[in-house]
Amino acid sequence: MIVEGEYVFAGPRELVYRLLQDPEVLSEAMPGAAKLAMVGDGEYQGSIRVGVGPVTAAEWKLSVALRDRVPPESYTMQVDSSGPIGFTRGAATVVLLEVEDGSTVMRYRADLQVGGRVAGIGQRLIDQVAKMMTKLGLDALSRELRARLPAGELPPAPPPAGEPG
Amino acid sequence: MGRRYVGERVRRNEDRRLLTGHAMFVDDVQLPGMLHLAFVRSDHAHARIRGIDASAARARPGVAAVYTADDLGDYWQPGPLLVPPPPVEGLVFNEATQVPLARDKVRHVGEPVAMVVAESRYLAEDALADVLVDYEPLDAVVELEAALAPDAPLVHERFGTNVAAFVAQRHGDYERALERADVVVSRRFHYDRGAAAAMENRAVAARWDPQAEDLTVWDTTQAPIPIRNGLARMLGLLESQVRVVAPFVGGGFGPKIMMFYPEEVLVPWAAMRLGRPLKWTEDRHENFFATSQERGQVHDAEMALTRDGRILGIRDRFLHDTGAYDPYGLTIPINSQCTLLGPYDVPSYESEFRAVFTNKTIVTPVRGAGRQHGVFVMERLLDLAARELGLDPVEIRRRNYLGPELFPHNFDILYQDFAPLYYDSGNYLPAMETACRMIGYEDFREEQRRLRAEGRHVGVGIVSYIEGTGIGPYEGARVTVDPSGRVRVATGLGTQGQGHYTAFAQIVAETLDVEVERVHVVTGDTREFGWGTGTFASRGAVVAGSACHAAAVAVRGKVVAMAARLFGVDEEQVEVAGGRVGVRGFPERALTLGELARHANPLRGAVKPGTEPGLEATAYFGPDHGSTASGVHAVVVEVDPETAMVEILRYVVVHDCGRLINPLLVEGQVQGGVAHGIGNAFYEKLVYDDAGQLLNASFMDYLLPTAMDVPRVEMAHMETPAPMNPLGLKGVGEAGAIPAGAAFAQAVEDALPEYGLEIREIPLSPGQLFELLEAARATSPHLQEAAG
Amino acid sequence: MERASVTLPVDITVTVNGAPYARAVEPRLLLSDFLRHEIGLTGTHVGCEHGVCGACTVTLDGEAVRSCLMFAVQADGREVGTVEGLAPADGPLHPIQEAFRDAHGLQCGFCTPGFLMTLVPFLRDNPAPTEQEVREAISGNLCRCTGYQNIVEAVRLASERMSATP
Repeated sequence: MIVEGEYVFAGPRELVYRLLQDPEVLSEAMPGAAKLAMVGDGEYQGSIRVGVGPVTAAEWKLSVALRDRVPPESYTMQVDSSGPIGFTRGAATVVLLEVEDGSTVMRYRADLQVGGRVAGIGQRLIDQVAKMMTKLGLDALSRELRARLPAGELPPAPPPAGEPG
Repeated sequence: MGRRYVGERVRRNEDRRLLTGHAMFVDDVQLPGMLHLAFVRSDHAHARIRGIDASAARARPGVAAVYTADDLGDYWQPGPLLVPPPPVEGLVFNEATQVPLARDKVRHVGEPVAMVVAESRYLAEDALADVLVDYEPLDAVVELEAALAPDAPLVHERFGTNVAAFVAQRHGDYERALERADVVVSRRFHYDRGAAAAMENRAVAARWDPQAEDLTVWDTTQAPIPIRNGLARMLGLLESQVRVVAPFVGGGFGPKIMMFYPEEVLVPWAAMRLGRPLKWTEDRHENFFATSQERGQVHDAEMALTRDGRILGIRDRFLHDTGAYDPYGLTIPINSQCTLLGPYDVPSYESEFRAVFTNKTIVTPVRGAGRQHGVFVMERLLDLAARELGLDPVEIRRRNYLGPELFPHNFDILYQDFAPLYYDSGNYLPAMETACRMIGYEDFREEQRRLRAEGRHVGVGIVSYIEGTGIGPYEGARVTVDPSGRVRVATGLGTQGQGHYTAFAQIVAETLDVEVERVHVVTGDTREFGWGTGTFASRGAVVAGSACHAAAVAVRGKVVAMAARLFGVDEEQVEVAGGRVGVRGFPERALTLGELARHANPLRGAVKPGTEPGLEATAYFGPDHGSTASGVHAVVVEVDPETAMVEILRYVVVHDCGRLINPLLVEGQVQGGVAHGIGNAFYEKLVYDDAGQLLNASFMDYLLPTAMDVPRVEMAHMETPAPMNPLGLKGVGEAGAIPAGAAFAQAVEDALPEYGLEIREIPLSPGQLFELLEAARATSPHLQEAAG
Repeated sequence: MERASVTLPVDITVTVNGAPYARAVEPRLLLSDFLRHEIGLTGTHVGCEHGVCGACTVTLDGEAVRSCLMFAVQADGREVGTVEGLAPADGPLHPIQEAFRDAHGLQCGFCTPGFLMTLVPFLRDNPAPTEQEVREAISGNLCRCTGYQNIVEAVRLASERMSATP
């Protein structure tokens, strides 16, 4: 499964990059009451609750490793999760681009493999769930970003958030 | 003379129990103290197991035990090879049978890794999440050709290849045929198959009785006796200490054969170990992964013909997906290889196949068992040749049928029973003519033009097939006249809805001249009858039916001899009729069969030397060759080229399964088979992604045909009696499913002649048909205008 | 905590085929499992547990429902009809059962109870259906053996007989 898209953050690239590496911020931002802890440089582990269509919400173990980090431009994210109803694993590439108005465009492309019951039963819904979760997560990050910017530095209202593709 | 029952439309003896909900299926077994099982199954198609931590699951309240491969000790053994490869020269076979619980590696999604035993199924399933399996995912082998690439990951490292088998067979001289040919048609074909999807999932229950020292296993198997024999061997018990009961079974269709599935092997073992009765019932989701399936083949085939459409020879090279293990040997691809020749006179044939391991559920026979793959390739080649030669599809078949004078007919290649491919009897042209008449073939073109003028696209497809049925090795039956006057029949087969309780009763009733309702048949209980193989390859009625007949004839002999002694007359004067036996011409000198049975089992006086007590006989039947059933399917479809929806307007089957025991049952078998075939042609496909994950593992996404999708089947019977058995029987269980894909493809092409479609892939989903139509439009601008 | 809420037994009384059954059941217990395993009426079969195959169809207050899509607690105080209630023991079969036998509308018989329990309310509400109506009515019940043809025939036969003898 490929999940890709673009998202505009109303803030400077350095700050966006920093937020994206902060386990506390990520825990807050991820839907499904994620709990993430840093277990090494760029390595996080935790859990998340996700349900897909007819498949009951369940606790998934989650590990995330950031690789090929080029602050504040890009990194790849190795994701591995498994739960009683299946697993997902794969890699996402994240590229941050500075835009002249001071905001940051994030381009992401994740190639995820989904397995187990969630693949066999939830197939029709997986794409939608992945897109929805991505959007919820990015919107939450965006809110966090705005909260952290000093009031004076807040750029004008951001353009509407791009639909994750 | 006695009443005739064989050949009559007799209502079934077993129906009352089934209709009132009292028939016992395996999941209905409920015993005091029974524990329930659930299995931890792999989520990965291919992964190394780094470790398993079951401690939390073991500590959970209500959990009696958790077993992993390491807990099985010496009992952990790969399962038996069920069918060894045939003795073909140069054959390669890499044997890899399934294991009870994966130890180092998992090789398909759903492979069992651990077994949880708990006080209820709910508690057992709760505990599954507590078994932590640490996997190291490996790249999966999914596509057949990719599996053969030099750098492909290996399903079984020890072979150094994913090739499970290689078999080459030939008959005649194909190279010479090529030299003489005016036309050679050569194409690639894909034929994929789906789940058997019996409405009842699998189930196994077991009870060890320490006082009697015996084990009872209730199993949804088609072959209880081989399961009994195998379990006794594995568990170190005498065969007499193991009783396997296959009670009412909710559909078999192949995968419930003697598979020695992990659950089948583990439930009895754990019941003995824990000293508690156990039960495991598969749920539908598990069934999509854990029950064997049939799957794809890719054929590169060519046919050499003369200008006037006579086949000179065929060459076929194909790949066969065998899934992660190959316990059922080569039955499916051998069936494909042999059945391809069909009812035709093919002077030369070269066929070779490679069976390929992939990281998918095990492949074993499903109704048709590879025969439809062969039929599809043959019938498609004939259609393409006919198109190239400007011949009518019926005409090209007509020119190539084996004539009735050519029987018995031998091809120099080996069939699944390891005997040379042998056609015992057949009469093919009249079946085709009957089908043409029934479907109105002659007038169809006119009708087609008329409907076309109204903007409707209809087409006809008409194809032939044969099916080798009724193979050995043998079955047996015991027939007993009960003192009540009812007749008991026991045979070793399993029954999954075929109507054996009635068909065998008819055979025995006719021989002993009693009412069919008074013949009580038992199948599928090894304690009732302990010799036999099982229900597969459309052989039940033929082989066990012949054994029932032989046993009934022997009982009749005893009845006559005993009555002659009793009445002091010659045997020729004894008459058996209407459940009574007496002296011909003296109605007062007669006994009921029950009274005679009591005389035959005296409490005083001697049983004479050379005689036996009771009116009972056991007999066996083992045919040297199977018997060749055949038929023609004709279908009319309507296609909407805009939406790619296909509607079946008519479906005609002309079928020859030799002498009919009960037309009602035969028609039911054929109707059900056609529905299965239609599902396979248009609806049912197991969709795997690149990682070997099955994407449609529920009835929400994997579509079985419903009452809205299956047409009424119009049927005619031909009866070319089989010379190989006394009743002239041929099998019928699989026939309906075999040619449906080929007929469907021809009809869809015929409905849209201007598109020049070539349907070379089954199942043909609406989506795929839409793509074919789009591709045709892209290359032919006039179609776009026509469509617009 | 969450588990406790679905596993803490609840007292219910369900009337099945006219007889009341009082049991303490876990709220998560499916009605199908209640019928089969709690009160031993194993004529109701389970084919998919996701509401597609229809084998587990029973009547609830006279209407056909999937017993695998309901919890037993939802049937508390209500009237369930199963295949075992269609004909008295050793008595004559219900006309629909009889028609299934006469038309060879069953083979392995596993799906049959579900078809019967779908058809009982259907023929009550629509005593003289067309073939198309019959096919639509049973399109939520899967059968792998018969190809449906003889089931459709059985319904026609039953409808004729039932309207002839009201």
